Amino acid sequence: MKKLLIIRSVSFQQLDKNIITIQEKYKDYNINLLTHEHGVKLAEKYKMIDKIHIYPYKGSFKFKNKVKELADEEFDLVIIPVTNITGAGFLNVLLYSLTLKTKKRVICNVVSDFKEISKTKIMLMGLQNIAMSFLSFILTGIFSIFIILFMPFKLKSLREED
Amino acid sequence: MNDPLVSIVTICWNRKEDLRESLNGIREIDYDNLEVIVVDNYSTDGTVEMIEKEFPEVKLIKMFKNIGIEAYNIGFKNARGEYIVILDDDSFPERDAIKKMLDKFRKDEELGLVAFDVRNYYNYDDIKNDKEDQSEDAAAESKDYLMAFNGAGAGVRRGLLEKVGFYPEEFFLYWNEQDIAFRILNAGYKIRFFPDIVSYHKYSPENRSSWRAPFYYTRNAFWLIWKNYPLDMAIKFTIQLIYNCFYFSMEQKTLIYIKAMFSAFIKMGKLKGKRKPVDRSIAKNLRIPFNVSFTFFR
Repeated sequence: MKKLLIIRSVSFQQLDKNIITIQEKYKDYNINLLTHEHGVKLAEKYKMIDKIHIYPYKGSFKFKNKVKELADEEFDLVIIPVTNITGAGFLNVLLYSLTLKTKKRVICNVVSDFKEISKTKIMLMGLQNIAMSFLSFILTGIFSIFIILFMPFKLKSLREED
Repeated sequence: MNDPLVSIVTICWNRKEDLRESLNGIREIDYDNLEVIVVDNYSTDGTVEMIEKEFPEVKLIKMFKNIGIEAYNIGFKNARGEYIVILDDDSFPERDAIKKMLDKFRKDEELGLVAFDVRNYYNYDDIKNDKEDQSEDAAAESKDYLMAFNGAGAGVRRGLLEKVGFYPEEFFLYWNEQDIAFRILNAGYKIRFFPDIVSYHKYSPENRSSWRAPFYYTRNAFWLIWKNYPLDMAIKFTIQLIYNCFYFSMEQKTLIYIKAMFSAFIKMGKLKGKRKPVDRSIAKNLRIPFNVSFTFFR
């Protein structure tokens, strides 16, 4: 049987909706779900999920955060749900998906439309990300001078009176 | 044992049909000693008339303009119950949720807030595994970090809420739950997420207007940091957030995040007297997914 993995990058409220379409579209697949530790009990409620994997980190999905239990797993499909139409703001999850062994990657958006995204496309987005990161870094550096100089005083002035 | 009074508090603004359905759901709750408070944020679609006509048991409080989440605070002030259940105008708890919630509170005096499992109203009953035995005390949590809660379904001790303070009215929308979560945890109480207590929510983010969520999520992320984090962490997270505002503005070709960032700085005075850094362990361990701010734009 074919095997797919959903990376839970959206709320359970949205996944409740997406998962019905996923099950209908990928009928002959065994469904796996990757979620943060706090999501395990909530994910166990899905009748269509065959296996749950834990993402053992506090923060968001990141390329550098590997999941040991998935190192030897091979999937036919990885699904990345997103909370908007285009998938903007989810590059970190797409990059994370590159750490997984899979034949295909698909974005499932907020209205449960599916769009395949290739490994090459994600890598190109990653390269674009480097340019934007560099520019953001420079701009943030300029702002940070003021933040470091003035923020401590400003924050002190906001303090609740004892 | 006498059943304590439980106050259900919700706010509304021009969502007549959703609210009607929620109030009907609330009527189905298997618990008698309830008061229901609805604070209307100056609806103009007949919401007020609908409540007055169809739900006379509801304590309706009318605002003269839309004051956002501050309306919850009006509801909290008027609540008489020993416990308060917080809902959205398009959410309602499962029939047995209140009894289960009270049971959790009775068993654990340090439990300050019971977070419900907020699920999609339209789909949850179709996807849930009826065979799954959800142990009544099994919480959805991590051993390594703490969680806040979802304001579409949560129960809190009224005394605690009065002690730590209500929602941050200056936020208007979003991140208000995380702000109060900091204060509840800092007061030495626990927040626990129970999968066996369900709240149905009419989740419909596709209908959100394009600017409100990214703007308020981003602006309030700064304010959340400035109000609650110790100085060094506040500076570190402020810088990270500035970076994200620049980065995601470029990625999504919008100025909304920059606008929100400047708004946070320009209106910083609204936080005057409200900064109270929490214990460092709480600041480090409470999971705040700041990146959410940058995922609603398109």
